Amino acid sequence: MRLSFYPGCSLEGMASDYARSIDAVFRNLGIDLVEIEDWSCCGATAAHSISQTMSVLLPARNLAAAEKMGLDLVSPCAMCFNRLRFSQNMIKKKVFDIPWPVTGNVRVHDMTRFLAEPPMIKSIKERILRPLNGLRVVCYYGCQMVRPPKITGYTDYENPQTIDRIAAAAGAQVIDWSYKATCCGASIGIARREIGESLTRRILQKAQQAGAEAIVVSCPLCQSNLDMIQKDRSKRHTPVFYFTEMLRLSFEEHGDPKWFKMHFTDPVPLLRAKGLLS
Amino acid sequence: MQNIISGLNQAHENDSGEERKLIGDRGDYFLNRMQGETGVDISACYQCERCTNACPVSHFMDIKPHQAIRYVQLGWREDLIKSSTIWICLSCEMCTTYCPYEVEVAEIFNHLRNMAAHSSITPKEKSLAVFHQTFLEVLQKSGRVNEFRLMNTYYLKPDILHERIKNKTLKEDLLLGITLLRKGRLKLFTPKSKAIKEIKRVYSQTRGEIV
Ligand code: SF4
Ligand code: SF4
Repeated sequence: MRLSFYPGCSLEGMASDYARSIDAVFRNLGIDLVEIEDWSCCGATAAHSISQTMSVLLPARNLAAAEKMGLDLVSPCAMCFNRLRFSQNMIKKKVFDIPWPVTGNVRVHDMTRFLAEPPMIKSIKERILRPLNGLRVVCYYGCQMVRPPKITGYTDYENPQTIDRIAAAAGAQVIDWSYKATCCGASIGIARREIGESLTRRILQKAQQAGAEAIVVSCPLCQSNLDMIQKDRSKRHTPVFYFTEMLRLSFEEHGDPKWFKMHFTDPVPLLRAKGLLS
Repeated sequence: MQNIISGLNQAHENDSGEERKLIGDRGDYFLNRMQGETGVDISACYQCERCTNACPVSHFMDIKPHQAIRYVQLGWREDLIKSSTIWICLSCEMCTTYCPYEVEVAEIFNHLRNMAAHSSITPKEKSLAVFHQTFLEVLQKSGRVNEFRLMNTYYLKPDILHERIKNKTLKEDLLLGITLLRKGRLKLFTPKSKAIKEIKRVYSQTRGEIV
């Protein structure tokens, strides 16, 4: 199976560990991710906020390239996924002049949903060498992957299940909780720290109250917010994993502590205690 | 109701000395314009406040989301452009998702931000507005956004630097930056997109330049 892959800017910087785990997982699953040649930034919230035209045109350029490849597109970043879908929607309304030939008809998947389809879950289960037994996790989705439902296509946007299903398939004990899709503040913390921290801290607290030992996410911004807010306190560590890091861990007999060196909240002690890392 | 009234009073205090704005004295020119441009039926809002209740940051806003929608109906354009609300909004889409009448509040705020960015009024939340601006600036230079360059460019903006020095947060920001570099999270160099020319062109066009 082949898919066109739109990594997005974060996967070359803040989330390059996410990129590495995706690579390992898809290799193992035998799915060919073909990076869109010469892709460019989706514009994120900034383009949307300042220039709506840019927010339609920037993703359109990548959609045009994906259409040329004739493959379904998969996006690991919630923000990129949302912006690509939004742009498709606007392209079809034909109110923007787009300098690239594009129809908006390519199928855009978010990576979690793609991997949570029953046949994929089956093939994930077949590859598990080291189930994550006894690891209690909550899955956190944030905003952009699920909302607004008209754009994202999620019908269970209040209680999404894609990462839950994947983490469960990897053998983790998935805990239900109420803050799956509550906003973590996104990039607001860069300009207004107190707002960002108040939102992120609440999600972290709720995850801990639910009894989670770790949080599983799919969005680079959610990961860094939840991870970095724990940099100054010493009491309770709640590592924040990308869902593909969990999968990779369960796919390989011997995990490597080096995989997690970019994390602020070091997950290695927890994984060792659970016998998941030697 | 109490909320709406106190919100309205606040707006009056802002334009001190000015005569009290009468409801409906502006006609519905602005409302029609907003509805036309966003494709959202803003008149449908019946002030149930569900959007405000769903909003995670409404307590940081000077005009609450449901009030802002009412302001649009009343044509109180400059109060909205001057508000902190439009910049504080996270685009988390809770409001849009839970509005019983499908009033796309987040999209309306987004449109207002677009308007504000092209107006002569200084944004109330300048640091947030400048962040968005910086992001686009970095983007059009390399086609992709390198987070290291983004943060650098942002902190070196005179307004931002000044604010950080005043709040004494600059040292903390620097230390965080160093930690991120050490952890390999910030990369000094990342690939550029070869499409810079195409993207610059689009960027200039959206700023009204003929290219
Ligand atoms: S939820 Fe919708 S109808 Fe209710 S106040 Fe907000 S915009 Fe108006
Ligand atoms: S999109 Fe903005 S206004 Fe709407 S709920 Fe989120 S932060 Fe509040």
